[in-house]
Amino acid sequence: MRRVAAAFSLAAAVSSWACGGEPPSPRVTGNDAWESIEARARGSTVLWRMWRGDPSINEYVDRWVAPRLLRQYDVTLNTVDGQGPEIVNQLIVERNARARGSADLVWINGETFNNLRKESLLWGPWAQRLPYALYVDSLSPIVMRDFEQPTGGWESPWGRVQFTLIYDSARVPTPPRTVPALERWIRANPGRFTHDQQFTGTTFLKSLMYALGGGARPLQGGFTEERYKAGSERVWTWLDRVRPYFWRRGETYPAGVADLHRLFANGEVDFTMSYNENEVITKVRQGVLPATSRAIVLRDGSIANAHYLGIPFNARNQAGAMVVANLLLSPEAQLEKLRPEVWADGTVLDLQKLPPALRDRFRALSDDSRGVPHDTLLRYQVPEVAPEYTERLSRDWKSRIRANVK
Amino acid sequence: MKGQRLGLFAAVLVASPVIAGIAYTVLSAIGAVGPGRGGPSLVHVRNVLADRATWSGLVWTLWVAFASTALAFILAIVVATVLRGDRRIDRLARTFAIFPLPFPHVVVALCAVLVLSQSGILSRLTHAAGVHASPGDMPALVYDRWGIGLIVAMTVKEFSFLVFIAFSVLASRGVILEETARSLGAGAIRTFRVATLPALWRGLLPPAIAVFTFVAGNYEATVLLAPSSPLALPLLTMESHSDPSLERRGEAYVLVLIAAMVSVCAVIVHEWVANRVEAVK
Repeated sequence: MRRVAAAFSLAAAVSSWACGGEPPSPRVTGNDAWESIEARARGSTVLWRMWRGDPSINEYVDRWVAPRLLRQYDVTLNTVDGQGPEIVNQLIVERNARARGSADLVWINGETFNNLRKESLLWGPWAQRLPYALYVDSLSPIVMRDFEQPTGGWESPWGRVQFTLIYDSARVPTPPRTVPALERWIRANPGRFTHDQQFTGTTFLKSLMYALGGGARPLQGGFTEERYKAGSERVWTWLDRVRPYFWRRGETYPAGVADLHRLFANGEVDFTMSYNENEVITKVRQGVLPATSRAIVLRDGSIANAHYLGIPFNARNQAGAMVVANLLLSPEAQLEKLRPEVWADGTVLDLQKLPPALRDRFRALSDDSRGVPHDTLLRYQVPEVAPEYTERLSRDWKSRIRANVK
Repeated sequence: MKGQRLGLFAAVLVASPVIAGIAYTVLSAIGAVGPGRGGPSLVHVRNVLADRATWSGLVWTLWVAFASTALAFILAIVVATVLRGDRRIDRLARTFAIFPLPFPHVVVALCAVLVLSQSGILSRLTHAAGVHASPGDMPALVYDRWGIGLIVAMTVKEFSFLVFIAFSVLASRGVILEETARSLGAGAIRTFRVATLPALWRGLLPPAIAVFTFVAGNYEATVLLAPSSPLALPLLTMESHSDPSLERRGEAYVLVLIAAMVSVCAVIVHEWVANRVEAVK
């Protein structure tokens, strides 16, 4: 058996070697000054494995970030598609094959970070060495704890998002603001509400778990089976009561949030949802959602989290990856990313640490009537809990609710 | 002899990636290699076989594959027989029949969503004609339990492939057989029964088997059109493969093996049917 596994590993290693590009740059050590890291990165190429499913994000990375990297640091940025479990799968295969790394930088958070740390697939810690880390909102538990896990410098924060419901103000003049009000609305408007089967849908279920169990606090402090059972039972009971009034009586669900957006835009349902409080602005601008779409947060708690950049254990260009992460953390890059016509992704910087002129520019971008006011977002924000809650809730929803169609 | 050896070498070269892939899948399914490996055991196999979702997904997938293949097969025979003429209208009709052939499956599936969903063109037209009180009252044809939307999309797509082959079969073999039958005194119906239909049947059987296995394993159209329960086998496989828990990766490989077995069974059925036809002859 071992011989066969070794043969596969050898084949993968040969294939990786054959596909390899330039030789790896020297590894970064703890004593290297930032200037030396920048100097080492010059003339190199960074391969970034990231989710490429949103044209706005792609455009920001390809048209704004990549040219600046080349101009300011002489670093060429290449991006390839890959997210979450794909990244974990790829790195495990590379480790088993003892193959060269196929990515220098990965876009991750939550369960992926948890799996990568558990499997020792990340290089680090390195994030605190970035010059722009100085501006990071280091007091925010949303930014500094990734699904309750301390980031510890193993990943550098890149953006911050918050869960919102999106409704069409032309169709729903007075949207529900709490979970009990949402239940009443769903019952009064059968067939007009649903959620998707993937990450955004699971976050909605997690919001229910928080709201029905007294907030995030009872679930904090790591995963325990007892807390999960108590919390999830309340969700299943709520769903058993309410889902007959869901779209298609809760017998089928849109695959992903993009499908839910489509149902909403076509008028089949009156709500969609997003794990980015500003997505409503970008999607309206792109014409994906109706112009009268608005975002709201539920007052029972609106889950917020941050997304990060990690460097794989086998990255061939650690210096280049750090330079890219540093540029992405710079106030200019964060401000550009926040612009509604770019991506509208929240910043991970503490605005109080920025020069006043820059601070004002950030604040000016937060005033869009289609989005949720900044102070409302902060008032109702609740953090993510241990990633095992998300994993279990998603898996059990599939077996207990989705598969249980009469 | 040298030529035969070369042929064997070429065949092995072509088959080796597939054999390597199957071997890797088997090893991953028993937890010997790959993400989430925990040493050789049958735990993934047991988990998958004990899960009701596997069997309901398998039955649903086979139903959709069978229904779309059968419909495309019958339509291809009918259309190829009817549109054989040399008139301009026949040539035009033949062009339209194979029109969907170059379009990717995902494009056809997206068209099906645009036309068949409850907010689609069909529902708006029937609503405008007074058939339904609102577009949403039209019976669900997308994400529906019976997979009607998916069956329609795959039938349209695969029909164009099968009818293209049917035209070729009739042009190459059908004409000679029909002339022979007619020269032996067969009438139009008898010629169709003893010459045209058997030629089409034999010529279309291998591509129909290919269509069946393709539809059973198709992901991109299925994800756009299939319901969430029962979950089609390709979607269930992808879900296991992209589950955050590494322990579930092995289950994805077991599901891949089940899908491979479906394909092997389809080939065995083809061989059995072909042998029986030969034996009857």
